[in-house]
Amino acid sequence: MIGRRVSYEFMSRVAVPLLSGAKGWRRRLLSRKGGRRTGPFGPPLECARKLKELTARHYLAGRYADGAVPVAWVTSGFPVEALRSLRFHTVYPENHGAICSVKRLVPELSEAVEREGYSRDLCGYARADLGSLAAGKTPVGRLPRPDLLCCCTNICQTVLYWYRALADRFRVPLVVVDTPFVYGDALPHHVAYVVDQLRELAEVAGRIAGRPVDSAGLVESMRLAREGTRLWDECLRTSLARPSPWTGFDSFFHLAPIVAMRGTGECNAYYRMLLDELKDRVARGVGGIENERVRLLWDNLPIWFHLRDLSTLLAREGFNVVCTTYASAWAEAGRRIDPADPEGSAARAYLHVFLNRDLPHRLSLMKRLCEEYGATGAILHSDRSCKPYSIGQIDLKDRLVEAGVRSLVLEADHADPRAWSAEQADNRLRAFMERFP
Amino acid sequence: MRAAAIAAQKKLGRKTVVVLPILYPRELFTAMDVHTVELWGPPGPPRGPEAGRIQPYACAVVRNALAFLASGGADAADAVLFPHTCDSLQGLATLVPDFGGWKKPVLRFHHPKGEDRPSARAFARAELSSLACGLERLTGETLDAARLDAAIALHAEIDRIKGALLRRRACLDLDDPALYRLLRRGEFLWPEDHLAELQAAEGRIGKERRRRGVPLLITGYVPEPMAIFDHLASGGTFVVADDYAAVGRRIPLGPPARGEDPIGTLAARTFAMPPCPTRAAAPARRMEYLSALFRRSGAAGVIVHVPKFCEPESFDVPAIRRLFSGIGAPLLHLEGELEADLPAQSVTRLEAFAEIVESARSAP
Ligand code: SF4
Ligand code: SF4
Repeated sequence: MIGRRVSYEFMSRVAVPLLSGAKGWRRRLLSRKGGRRTGPFGPPLECARKLKELTARHYLAGRYADGAVPVAWVTSGFPVEALRSLRFHTVYPENHGAICSVKRLVPELSEAVEREGYSRDLCGYARADLGSLAAGKTPVGRLPRPDLLCCCTNICQTVLYWYRALADRFRVPLVVVDTPFVYGDALPHHVAYVVDQLRELAEVAGRIAGRPVDSAGLVESMRLAREGTRLWDECLRTSLARPSPWTGFDSFFHLAPIVAMRGTGECNAYYRMLLDELKDRVARGVGGIENERVRLLWDNLPIWFHLRDLSTLLAREGFNVVCTTYASAWAEAGRRIDPADPEGSAARAYLHVFLNRDLPHRLSLMKRLCEEYGATGAILHSDRSCKPYSIGQIDLKDRLVEAGVRSLVLEADHADPRAWSAEQADNRLRAFMERFP
Repeated sequence: MRAAAIAAQKKLGRKTVVVLPILYPRELFTAMDVHTVELWGPPGPPRGPEAGRIQPYACAVVRNALAFLASGGADAADAVLFPHTCDSLQGLATLVPDFGGWKKPVLRFHHPKGEDRPSARAFARAELSSLACGLERLTGETLDAARLDAAIALHAEIDRIKGALLRRRACLDLDDPALYRLLRRGEFLWPEDHLAELQAAEGRIGKERRRRGVPLLITGYVPEPMAIFDHLASGGTFVVADDYAAVGRRIPLGPPARGEDPIGTLAARTFAMPPCPTRAAAPARRMEYLSALFRRSGAAGVIVHVPKFCEPESFDVPAIRRLFSGIGAPLLHLEGELEADLPAQSVTRLEAFAEIVESARSAP
């Protein structure tokens, strides 16, 4: 136990920063001289390397986490602050699923669970995660075994079914924070329900960690979570500038810390650095793409396995995705967190997550983003394996068109390339781009 | 049939609420003198072009429901109730009233998800009270505790008989198509009328075994198309144990435990239901339940009948497969799209399955 703890602390605090520091040193020197431009894109963000380092450190430390510190597998929208204050190592299977998808591993992993009887129609993240367990394969080396599974329904109910399967497999407690869907504003008894569940969570997590949640630690992680959300929002808002200093596709990668490290000083330090760099680019007029001509909104998850090709296709024609509902979702609800009222404000914040709110709210957010960011077009990724995000998109598209936003519904899948035709999608995108002057 | 039932209740001055799947506290509606009609699709091709407002990778239940509502199929009703059963129904619950398809009042109902726990108990109570307020607004009447008590007793009796008919079906002189038609008439009949029919059927439970053929356990979502039972019968099989979300899974495991008041009794009922993936029951508990059902009923094989694109049901399929392969029971996984009739390929698979189960049963 002590040996594992030492390895865990060494890996998370010393080894990875050293390793990545040495590797990044030469490249950093290069980029300070102005960086290299790649294709139709502006110079790459220097922070991208820091992000890789952060992610690598997180996953490398994870290999030594079980047996050293309590480990929780957590859904992206889970109220994680109590776990932070108990020093849980948290694993985000959705983030892992995204990595599997970028590495184009999902078909292989999915096939492993399809053989067990899972349907190919289920969420691609769930299939990637369960498939990774079934096949014993992961691009991150090894995921630590969970002591606790934490699932919040504010992104979808699919996570319930997925985490039930995980609980069955690992035979560890599953904490569900059930967040009733919000029409307009959350009802008082819905808030009370979430508050009650947060108390139940604190009890279970405290039991597993071997000590109770300390309220000062909880307040501190809430303060950090709110601050992290604010910083992330500021990063996104740098795209108000013309040209936008980065692309919405970049933001998909850079949201990893606010999803997976929310409530930590490390997350906030990262976003301070990213914000500095983005502001610097704005001041110098450096864009995410070279010739920004048309600004777009993206709705739904990224098509992880095709992101590079897609962004290149758009960027070549001067199209830049400057705002996304997905990345903005992480800047929205956290504002409600108030360390002075840890339970009530957390309940309200986690209830009012974008995917847990009605379609009028979603439409108004999309219209607001288009207006503020000057997006004259929208791509709505109709995501075959994410039903909660996709139902309603056809009506949303019609309403955006009525509001003067040229819009396209693009059929794809966020994780699994098997149901996807790159050629067909490219043709549709080209035809869409031709509609802009 | 449903239209005629609505018209008959209108004549009696009752309001009608159309209810989407699966579970809802019907007792509240009965106590408020509100007639409910359930909308499981309806099966068959969508009634109108509006189904196209939901992508084809969502289940036929929500696509058909949207088309049905938007084409005016339920215009005779006074309100719609959306239980928050799954992501797709949740999506429908905002899509239809907010973006078109239904202009009359909307009621919504959340079931607590996960296992029984104090927070879920308190929430179930609060949500029931909130729904009661919605019904009071709809009817202009006040919920009366004595009437709710009576409604709870009425539905408990309905559930008792339904349970008895399902459990003792081997001795019942009704075949599967007739039994399921009878049970499912509760989806649109006024409860007292349904009770009368059920009582008549209960009198047909004999002491002797009447059913011959290969007994099967069936688990899944909704028995659509109903022709599945004709095909099962013609293949020499019959359903001896039911775990359809629309049928067996809605019958409480025991008589209602009395709460501190009628709403408390109803809240307790939420946790007395057979384990269902849509309410996130632990798989281990569900598998235990299915395994006991299988053993108790003497079933010789299992059919898993789920709609395509149904996440809650589909996620449990591997565990169900594991469970029954572990005890050597033949299993058929049938995926449907709420067709009006069973596709030829499914019919062939059912026939082949019947033969497999029969030969496994007669093997020494
Ligand atoms: S991709 Fe969609 S269905 Fe899958 S976990 Fe995320 S929100 Fe849920
Ligand atoms: S069939 Fe499944 S996915 Fe469709 S509405 Fe019913 S529970 Fe939801």
